[in-house]
Amino acid sequence: MQTFLIVVGIIMFVVILMYNSLIAKKNQVSNIFASLDAMLKKRYDLLPNLVASVQEYTHHEKTTLEQITTLRSHALSGTKNTQETIELDANFSKLLGGLMVSVENYPDLKANENFLHLQHTLNELEEQISAARRAYNQSVTDFNNALEMFPTNMMAGFMRLEHQALFETSIPERNTVDIKKIFKH
Amino acid sequence: MQTNVSSLMDFFYEKMYGDLKILEQDRLAIVAKLQKTAIILSLVGVMVFFILTRSFPLTFLQAFALVGTLLFLIYMFIYRHLSSGYRLLFKEEVIAKIVQFIDPSLLYQANKHISEKEYTTSELFSENFDRLSGNDLVQGTINGVNLKFSDLHVEKQMKDKEGREHWESIFQGLFFIVDFNKHFTYKTVVLPEIASNTFGILGEWIQEFNKSHGELVKLDNPAFEKLFVVYGNQIESRYILSPSMMERILDFKAKTGKVLSISFIPSKMYLCVDYKKDLFEPILTQSLLDFAPIKEYFKLLSLILGIVEAFKLDEKIWSKR
Repeated sequence: MQTFLIVVGIIMFVVILMYNSLIAKKNQVSNIFASLDAMLKKRYDLLPNLVASVQEYTHHEKTTLEQITTLRSHALSGTKNTQETIELDANFSKLLGGLMVSVENYPDLKANENFLHLQHTLNELEEQISAARRAYNQSVTDFNNALEMFPTNMMAGFMRLEHQALFETSIPERNTVDIKKIFKH
Repeated sequence: MQTNVSSLMDFFYEKMYGDLKILEQDRLAIVAKLQKTAIILSLVGVMVFFILTRSFPLTFLQAFALVGTLLFLIYMFIYRHLSSGYRLLFKEEVIAKIVQFIDPSLLYQANKHISEKEYTTSELFSENFDRLSGNDLVQGTINGVNLKFSDLHVEKQMKDKEGREHWESIFQGLFFIVDFNKHFTYKTVVLPEIASNTFGILGEWIQEFNKSHGELVKLDNPAFEKLFVVYGNQIESRYILSPSMMERILDFKAKTGKVLSISFIPSKMYLCVDYKKDLFEPILTQSLLDFAPIKEYFKLLSLILGIVEAFKLDEKIWSKR
């Protein structure tokens, strides 16, 4: 009887440990996601100013700026789930990356103090977002590993925990250098 | 910052050689005196050894040990006495001038070192210490970035099983402090990886439970993870240790070939290179007029002062601008 109780005790202890570690991992994912989301919101706040300063100097980037504005209002309307946030972030990074390459063609804009400040703030924010993305991906990997590895996978099955998606970092598409165009000048 | 070895050679022959010739005479005189001392002490030693074994009830081994220890202590005392003046002159004529050559705005103080407060602020070594000493403090700005470093030796007093006291090193090497170019609020500590390399998964568990430096931060660079263990804030530590920063740290480690510990405490980066010896010290048996040792001192100094450029700490593209 005594042995039986000890065995039950040990099993209970292991189950509690597994349960707690899974919950801790799940919370870690949502905690980091919350910080990441806060940073993404900070980036949305910057966008109207950025659009305004770029608009003043450029006339050819209208489509990109419109896209940014539309995407921003979409991002701020209603709550988004993880998958939607990931997609929105990827789109913003792509658009902003493209825009930052295009502004190289406008020396007046690049000399504008206000724009420079915005660009630096955005750069810093991008670095922070990228750090948060990496933190999020690591926490998701830890969580997903626990979901797949024995014996926590059984526990996760009982708890009905589901795999989380990773943030795919998109490298902004850069304009390829047109050699012919360079030689024309 | 001047890093060209051929300009150093010109500088050596034009600006240093004259003074070094005089100092070289001192060195030769000291070496001659030390040689003479060694001969006299050996003769005295042999005499004392015979007296001890003949007139006192001592075995050969006891007498040998006694005379040996005594002679060694006397010799070391004379050695220190003779070389101390030379050591200071050497630092003035060689190290100070090389520092000046690299960047004239840098300030070199042979007898000062990184303070106790700065050492504890770094949070790199959690052990209590009893003695902190050092020398060769260099401070100033490189490309607009404030920095300072010195030789540092931190020790603690230990007792063995029989109650005998001895000193044990916690850290001996270079202690480097520099302004960091990113703005951050939490501390991040990068320590050499020992636990998981030695104990595998068990080591990783130990690391996870060690909360004295903050949370364990697992990074996405396998080479970096193999050599270092990082504690800090999950997001901010990754902001500081960007993929390129991790590569720069790995490069620097490969260049020095030494154990590195790094911490980022708001606005500053603290870096320790464990050389396990006192650097920038003269070697009495080495000629001063030889360019090769000068080049070595120069290489070491440029490697350390080159941290600003190597880690791109002068690129203030962030909010610290």
